Amino acid sequence: MELVEIKHLSKSFDNKEILKDVNISISSGKIVGLLGKNGAGKTTIIKLINDLLTPTSGEILIKGKKVGVESKKIISYLPERTYLNKQMKVSEVISYFKDFYDDFDDNKALKLLEALDLSVDQKLAKMSKGMQEKVQLVLVMSRNADLYILDEPLGGVDPATRDYILDTILSNFNEDASVIISTHLISDIERILDEVIFIDRGQVILQSDADTLRNKEKASIDEIFRRMFRC
Amino acid sequence: MLKLLKYDLKYMVQNMSVFYILSIFFAVLVRLLNMLEQTVIINILQSIFSGCAIAMCANILINTMMRSWIRFRDSIYKDESYLTHTLPVTKSDIYNSKFLQTLIFFIIGFVIVLLSLFIAYYTKDRWMLIKGLINNMTTGLEFKTMTFVISFMVIVFLEVFNAIQCGFVGIVLGNKCNNGKIGFSVLFGFIAYLISQSVVLFLVFVVGLFNSSIMNLFTNNVLLDATSFKLLLFLSISFYVIAISCMSIICKNELNRGVNVE
Amino acid sequence: MEFTFDNNLPIYIQLLEYMKIYLISGVFKCGEKLPSVRDFANTFKVNPNTMQKALAELEEMKLIYTERTNGKYVTKDEELINKLKDEYAIALAKSYFQGMKRIGLGKADSIKYLEGIE
Repeated sequence: MELVEIKHLSKSFDNKEILKDVNISISSGKIVGLLGKNGAGKTTIIKLINDLLTPTSGEILIKGKKVGVESKKIISYLPERTYLNKQMKVSEVISYFKDFYDDFDDNKALKLLEALDLSVDQKLAKMSKGMQEKVQLVLVMSRNADLYILDEPLGGVDPATRDYILDTILSNFNEDASVIISTHLISDIERILDEVIFIDRGQVILQSDADTLRNKEKASIDEIFRRMFRC
Repeated sequence: MLKLLKYDLKYMVQNMSVFYILSIFFAVLVRLLNMLEQTVIINILQSIFSGCAIAMCANILINTMMRSWIRFRDSIYKDESYLTHTLPVTKSDIYNSKFLQTLIFFIIGFVIVLLSLFIAYYTKDRWMLIKGLINNMTTGLEFKTMTFVISFMVIVFLEVFNAIQCGFVGIVLGNKCNNGKIGFSVLFGFIAYLISQSVVLFLVFVVGLFNSSIMNLFTNNVLLDATSFKLLLFLSISFYVIAISCMSIICKNELNRGVNVE
Repeated sequence: MEFTFDNNLPIYIQLLEYMKIYLISGVFKCGEKLPSVRDFANTFKVNPNTMQKALAELEEMKLIYTERTNGKYVTKDEELINKLKDEYAIALAKSYFQGMKRIGLGKADSIKYLEGIE
C-alpha cells in the first residue's frame, strides 16, 4: 500500500480551478520534492492533504485511509507561516505537542533547541520570525511520523540556516518515513531529493526519480525545470 | 477533548484574570473608602472607584463574549488553525471544547461580577430593599423567592449564551461563504440572533393564541398572572436550550463538512 | 571536508567517484569494515537512499561486499583495487600529456617538467 495516494484531485475557489485532476502516489522511505513556481498549486495540494482545505472532487488516501484523525496522527506538517499561539513559551509549546501527539519525542526537541541556542523559557512573541520558524521546524522534526510535509522550508532564510535545515531533515530522516518538501528554490535542495514532482498551473506535469531524470536529460533538475517552464 | 479544553481554558485565564483581579480590587477599594470618615475627597474618590468597579464588571461580561469569539475565529480560521486542524482530534471535539470554554467562563464571569457588586455595595439596608422588591414581585406570581431569582438568572444567562452561539454560527457561516471576510461573519451572526429572537417572539405569540392572558402582552400592558408567567418562563428556557443545541449542531455539521482556511 | 556536488550529474555517480578515490587512496583498506549507509549519508550530506544506490553500484563492481548481518566491507581482492588505481593513474597521466601537448610540449619535455616538480 502506498503511503500517499492522490486520485483525480480537483479544487476550485469561486469557480476558479486551482487544481485540475491531480494524481500523485508516494511510497515510504522517499524524500520527494514538490516543485513549481509561486502560485502553481503546491501549497493547495499540501493544505488538502492536511485537511485545511476540502477537495472539490477526487480523493486523498494516507495509508489507505481518508484524511482525518488517523492521518493526522502520522503526518507531521510544517506550514509556510508561523502558526503557534505567540503567548506561549517554547516549553509550553513542547508540552502542547507532547499532549497531542503520541509520537512526539520531547527529549529530541530539547536537544535540537539547545543546539540552536534557543531558550525554552522564552515567549514566542519575543522571538524574531526566523527563530519562530526554527522552533516550528524543531517541533515538526521531533515527531516520529510516517510522513513529514514541509511547505517552503527554505523561503527567505540565510544560507547558513538553509544548510542547517537541510541537515536537520537529512539526519532525522529514516527509511520508514517519507518527506515531502515543496519549494521553488530547486537548486538549493535537489541534491537530497529521491523523487521530483513538477507542478504547473494546478496540474502535475511530471513525477520521476531525480537521478534518472538527470541522466536522461543530462542536466540538473533546476535546469530541466527552467527549460520546461520558461516564461 | 479534555486536552483541547485545557488549553482553551488556559488561554482565557491568561486573558481574563487581569479583569477579574481589577474588578475585585476596585470593589474592595470602594468598600474600604466606605468605612473611612466621609469627606469631600473621599466621596470623590469613592465615586471614581465605584465607576471603575462597575466598568470592570461590564468589561468582564463584554470581554468574555469578545474573547470567546476571537478565540473561536483565531483557532478555527486564522493562522493558528494550521495547528488546530492538524491535531489528531475530531472537528466535533474542537467545537465542544470552545463551547464548554465559553460556558465555564461565563459562569466564572457572572460569579465574579456578583462577588464584586457584593463586596462594593453590600449593606444590610440595601439587601433588605432588594429582598423586599423581589418578595413583592414573587408573591404576586406565586413563586418562591429563590426559585424566582434562580430562574431569572438562568434566563439572563441563556440569553447571553445564545448571543455568543449566534456569533459562532456567524463566524462559521461567514467563513464558509466568504473566506475570512469579517463583514459576513458579523452579518450572519446578527441574522442568527434576529432569527432566534423572532422565534421567541413568534412562539410567545403562538402560545398567546391559545392563552388569552399571554395574548394580553401584545394588546395591552397588564401584568401577567401567575400561571402564564410560569408558562412563559418555562417556554423561554426550553426554547433557548433548543436554540443553543440547534446552533451547536449547525456549527458541528458545517465544520465536519470541511474547512477552507486561507 | 566539504563535499561539493554538481547538480547536472546524477548524485550517486558523484558519490561513486568519491568512494572509489577513498578505496584507491587507502582511506578504507582492503577487508576493512565500512561505516553504515546512514553515517556515509551524514558525512556526504546526501539522501541515504542515494548513498545506498552508490554503495550498491560499488558492490556490483565487487569493490565492496556485504556480510549478511555485519555490514559492508572493502573487498579483500587487492588486485581489483590496484587495477582501479591503475585506471585512474593512466587517465590522470593522459590528461596531463594532453594538456602539455596543447601548449606545444612533447612527451620527453613533459616528463622533464614532472621531474622538476617536487
